[in-house]
Amino acid sequence: MTPLLQGMVTILVGVTACVAYFWLSNWVLDRVIFPARGPNAGRNINRANLVRPWLFLFPAIFVLGLYLAYPVVGSFVRSLFDRSGTEFIGLGNYIDLFNSSGFRVALRNNILWLLVVPAAATAFGLLAAQLTDRLSWGNIAKSMIFMPMAISFVGASLIWRFVYANNFDIGLINAVRGVFGAERAIDVLQIPFWNNFFIMFIMIWIQTGFAMVILSAALRNIPEETIEAAIMDGAGPFRLFFSVKVPQIMGTIVVVWTTITFLVLKVFDIVYTVTGGNFGTHILPSYMMNFMFRDDGRATAVAFVIMLLVLPVMVWNIRQARRELR
Amino acid sequence: MTTRTASRRLAAGAATLALLAGSAAAQDLFLTPGEDDRFDWDGLAAFAEANDFTGETLEISGVWTGADAQMVNRVMAYFADATGAEVSYSGSDGFEQDIVISAQAGSAPNIAVFPQPGLAADMAARGFLTPLAEGTDDWIRENYVAGEDWVELGTFVDADGDEALYGLFYKVDVKSLVWYSPDAFEDMGYEIPTTMEALKELTEQIVADGGTPWCIGLGSGAATGWPATDWVEDFVLRIAEPQVYDGWVDNSVPFDDPVIVEAIELYGHFARNDDFVRGGSQAVPTTDWRDSPSGLFTFPPECFMHKQASFIPTFFPDGLDYGFDYDFFYFPAFEGQDLGEPVMGAGTMWAITDDAPVAHALIEFLQLPIAHELWMAQSGFLTPHTGVNLDTFSSEAQRGINEILLDATVFRFDASDLMPGEIGADAFWSGMVDYTTGTPAEEVAAEIQSRWDAMR
Amino acid sequence: MDNIAGRKSGLSWAVNLSVLALVVLWLIPTLGLLVSSVRDRDQIAATGWWMTPVPVEMTFRVRVAAPDEQQETDAGFVVEGNVLEEPSRAHWFEGGRGAVTAFGTRSVDPTEFAPGDSAELRGGGTLTVAADGSFRMVSDEGFGRPVNVLFQARVPPRITTENYDTVLTADGMDRAFMNTLTVAIPATVIPILIAAFAAYALAWMDFVGRGVLIAAVVGLLVVPLQLALVPLLNLHNQIGIGQSFMGIWLAHTGFGMPLAIYILRNYMVGLPRDIIESARVDGATDFQIFTRIILPLSFPALAAFAIFQFLWVWNDLLVAKVFLPSGSASQVMTVLIADDLIGSRGGDWGILAAAAFVSIAVPLLVFFTLQRYLVRGLLAGSVK
Repeated sequence: MTPLLQGMVTILVGVTACVAYFWLSNWVLDRVIFPARGPNAGRNINRANLVRPWLFLFPAIFVLGLYLAYPVVGSFVRSLFDRSGTEFIGLGNYIDLFNSSGFRVALRNNILWLLVVPAAATAFGLLAAQLTDRLSWGNIAKSMIFMPMAISFVGASLIWRFVYANNFDIGLINAVRGVFGAERAIDVLQIPFWNNFFIMFIMIWIQTGFAMVILSAALRNIPEETIEAAIMDGAGPFRLFFSVKVPQIMGTIVVVWTTITFLVLKVFDIVYTVTGGNFGTHILPSYMMNFMFRDDGRATAVAFVIMLLVLPVMVWNIRQARRELR
Repeated sequence: MTTRTASRRLAAGAATLALLAGSAAAQDLFLTPGEDDRFDWDGLAAFAEANDFTGETLEISGVWTGADAQMVNRVMAYFADATGAEVSYSGSDGFEQDIVISAQAGSAPNIAVFPQPGLAADMAARGFLTPLAEGTDDWIRENYVAGEDWVELGTFVDADGDEALYGLFYKVDVKSLVWYSPDAFEDMGYEIPTTMEALKELTEQIVADGGTPWCIGLGSGAATGWPATDWVEDFVLRIAEPQVYDGWVDNSVPFDDPVIVEAIELYGHFARNDDFVRGGSQAVPTTDWRDSPSGLFTFPPECFMHKQASFIPTFFPDGLDYGFDYDFFYFPAFEGQDLGEPVMGAGTMWAITDDAPVAHALIEFLQLPIAHELWMAQSGFLTPHTGVNLDTFSSEAQRGINEILLDATVFRFDASDLMPGEIGADAFWSGMVDYTTGTPAEEVAAEIQSRWDAMR
Repeated sequence: MDNIAGRKSGLSWAVNLSVLALVVLWLIPTLGLLVSSVRDRDQIAATGWWMTPVPVEMTFRVRVAAPDEQQETDAGFVVEGNVLEEPSRAHWFEGGRGAVTAFGTRSVDPTEFAPGDSAELRGGGTLTVAADGSFRMVSDEGFGRPVNVLFQARVPPRITTENYDTVLTADGMDRAFMNTLTVAIPATVIPILIAAFAAYALAWMDFVGRGVLIAAVVGLLVVPLQLALVPLLNLHNQIGIGQSFMGIWLAHTGFGMPLAIYILRNYMVGLPRDIIESARVDGATDFQIFTRIILPLSFPALAAFAIFQFLWVWNDLLVAKVFLPSGSASQVMTVLIADDLIGSRGGDWGILAAAAFVSIAVPLLVFFTLQRYLVRGLLAGSVK
C-alpha cells in the first residue's frame, strides 16, 4: 500500500471513527444511561447535560494531555537524569549547561531573538499596515508582504542564503558592496555577533506580513470619531498616528507581539539551515539538536530552559484569557 | 569523516538511475556478468547459487548521497540480482543523528554503513548492533592487508561488556593526499614538494607569483567542519609519535595537549591566511567541500592545490583526465622530524542494525572479490582486500593510491571517526569551524576537551 | 482622511514610494531564487541573477589532438578547426551567436592574446584564433602531443528547465513531494474534527471547570515543541508506533490542537446566541445543534485553521526529522532539502533554487487562492 493511499484510508478511518465516537457516545448517554423519558425524564436530561460537555471534550483533552501536558512533566523528569537515563543527578545537567560556553552563547542569542524579532516584525507590520491602508494598490502590496508566511522556514533560509552568499555574483549584499567598490566579498554570516541579526531578519521577513494583516484590521476598527476629533484639534499625521491610533490598538499590538514571541521560541529550522549553528549563531532549539538522542538528559534540560523563557508570557497570556472570560 | 557526497554533474542517464535508487533490483546491471574476464564472475555465480532471498527487502542507510549513492546502488544491483532480494539504499547528511534516532525507535535499517567506528561503538554499547557471523574475523585476518588492525577497528563491547566483531570495512580511503593540476604546475614551473618544508615554500612561492595556492572548503551541511579535522590529524602524525595519536583517540592524551594545539595551528598556517586560500579564509568554512576543488580546474586556476582524500575525484567536473588535468602527491612529512611517512586513512564500516538472514548474506557478499571490483571499476574506491584483481581499477590514479595504502610505514585510521560521536562527529567539527573563523587554538581545544570531560 | 498622508500630495508620494520600497525589499529575494532556478548552472556561477538577460563571458579550454589531426602542407604541419564547435557545448553557440573575445595558450593566462593575434606555442609553432572561433596551428617540426587552446567567449544567456528536471528525477523531490502530501493531509483533517467538538463545548456549554480548561488551552498554546520530542518518541516506541506516518499524524494532531481549539472557540463564541437558543427551545440536542448549525456557520474559521495547519505541517522540519524515519521512502521535502541537498549540492545554486521552488509551490498556491479565509481566521483568533 503506498503511503499516500494509506493516508487517504487514515483520513477515512479517522474521520469515521471521530464521528462515530461523538454520535455513539451521545446516543448511549441519551438513550441508555439517562433516557429522556419515564418518571425521571427531567432529572435525566439535566444529568445528561452535565456529562455531555466531557464527551465532547474527551478526545481533545486526551490528545492535549498526552502530547503537550505530559511531555512538560516527562521532559523535566528526564532532565534530572544522566545521559543513559538511569542515574538521578538532580540539577547536574543544568549546572553543566550553564558552565558550558556554547550554551551561554545560545542562551544569549535566544534572548536577543526574543527581544529583536517580535519587536521588529511588529514595528514593520504596523508601518506596512498604516502605509498601505488607503493606498489604491494597498491590497496587492499587502499580499506581497504577506506572501513569505506561506514559505517554509527551510525555503526562506535558502532564499536568504542567496542574498547573503559570500560571492559578488550570487549574493545580493556583496553585489551592492561591489558596486560601491568593495574588493573582496565578505560573508555576513561570519561577522561575530552581528551575524545573528542577519539570521533574525529572515524571521522578521516572514512574520511582518502576519503582523501587518492583523494590525491593519485593528486600525480599520478604530472609531472614526476619535480620529476626526483629533484632526479638528489640528493634530498632524504623525501625532495622529502615535498619540491617537497606536494607543487604541495597543491590545492588538500586544497580542501580535506575544504570538510572534512564541513562534520565535519554536523555530530551529532557520539557524539549522543557514549556518547549522556555526559562527556563534546557535539558539537554544538548534543547540538542543546537538544533544538530542545522544544525551537526552541534557537535551531535555535545554528544552526546559526554553520552557522557562516562555513562562512569563504564558502566565500573562492565561491571565489575559481569564479576564476576557469574566 | 569519510565519504560524503555531491553529484555536481549527473548526466541524464545517471539521473534515471538515481530515480530508481529505492529499488536497486529494478536497475540494470552496469557490467554484464561474465563478459569482462578481469572480474570474478564465478564467485558471484557461486554466491547466487547458495543464496535465495526472493521477495525479501534489505534496507541500507549511509552517508552517501548523489554520485556516491548512485555507485553503491550499482553494486547493490548485483546483490539484488544474485539473491532476488530487493535492496533499498538511502543516504543522508544527517546520518549520524538519524541512525541513533531510528535505532531507538526500532525502525533501524537492516544495514548501516558507518563512516565512524566511534559512532558504531556507541551503538554497540547500547545494544543496537548485531555481531557478524562467526568466522568473519578470521576471514578478515586472512584476506585484508593488516587484517588484525581491521578486525580490531570493527570490534566493540556490547551492553554486557562482551567483545564481538560488529563491522566489516568495505570501501577504504587514503586521506593524506594533495591534488593538483599538472598542467598548471607545468605552466608555472613548479616542482612536486617532497617535504613539508618544501610544501610551505611552494605555498609562499605561488603567492609571490600572484596566484592562490590552496582551495579549502569545510561546508558539508550538518557535518560542516570535518575536512579540517583531516588536516589536523595528518599534522598530529607528522609532529608526534603514532602512540600520541592513539592516546589522543582514547583521550589519554587530552585534546588540549600542546601537540594537538600545535597541529591545529599548523592547519591554521594554511587556512587562516587570506592570501593562501581561495576567497580568503572567510570562504573556508562555508565553501562546500565537494565544490572546493573546482578552483583547480578554472582558467586561470583559482588555486593550485587541494588536500583531500582519495574519493575526491568523484566530485571533479566531468571530462577531466588523470595525469593531464589532475594528479596527486603524498601530503609530505617534515624533513626535520624522523617519523617516517605516515598515512592517514578512513573507511566505511558495514554493520547490522536490524538482524535478518538477508543482512548476513550481504556481509558475505561484501567479502567476495567481485563486490570490491565492481566499485573499483567505478571511482573513489580503495580496498585492503588482497584477493581482488587490481586491473579492474578504473584509473591509474586509483591504483596509485591503493599502492600508497599498501606501502605505508605508519597507517592510522581517521581519529575523528574513532572518537565518540559527540566529539568526533560534533564538537571536533564545530571546533574547527570556530578555529578557522578566528578563535584561538587553545580555546577551541579546551572547549572540546571539556565536552569530552562532561561525557563521563 | 485619517491617513498619515493626509491631504498633502508630497506626503502621498512619500507613502507610495516607501510602500513600493518595502514591497520590492520583500519580493526581491524570492524573485532572485525564481530567476536562478531557470538559469544554466555555469552561468549562475559566472554572473548574478540580475544579469540574466546579458551574455556571459566565460573561459574554456579545448584540447586539440594535434598529432592525429595535423596535415603536412607547404607551410609546415597545420591543424585547423573551430573552438566553438566542440560538441559538448556547441548548443550554447548555435547560429553563430557566440564570439571569442580573447585566447591564450597557458591555463594560468587564458586571455593573453586578442582574436586574430598570433601566439607562440610552448612546444614550438604558432596559434591563431579568430573571433568566430576558427583556429589555425602551424609548426615546422609537427606536433608531438596534444595542444591546449584556451579562450574566452561571450555566451548568450540560457534559460532552461534542467534544474527542475534534475531535482524532480535524480534528487528524489518527486517522492518527497508525495511524502509531504501524505503527511500534510491527514494531519490537517483529523485535528479539525476533534477540535471542533471541543471548541463547541468550551463556547456554548455550561459546566464546571470551563474557565480552567480555556486557560489551559491558552497555556498549552505556547508549550515549546522541543519539550515533547524526547518523551513522545520514547512513548511511540513503547506502544509500537515508532517512527512512522502514523506517528507523525498523531504528533501533528497533538501539536496543532491548542491553536485549533483556540481559533474555533473564539469564532464560535461570536455566533448569534438566539439561533442556538431557539434551536434548544425547539428541542434540538447539542449534537444536532453542533452538526446542523454550528459546523456550517463556522466554515470560515474551519477553513482558516485548515489552511494554517496545512501550511504549518507542510513547512515543518523539526517534527518530520524526529517522528519520521530518515530513509528516502518517507523523507519529506524540508528534510530532503536541509539534510541532503544543502549538503550534497551546497554550491549548486540552480538546483537548490529549483528544489526550494518545488517545495513552496503548493503553499503559495494555497496561500494566494485562500488568502481571504486565512486572514479572517487570524483575525478571529487575535482581534477582539
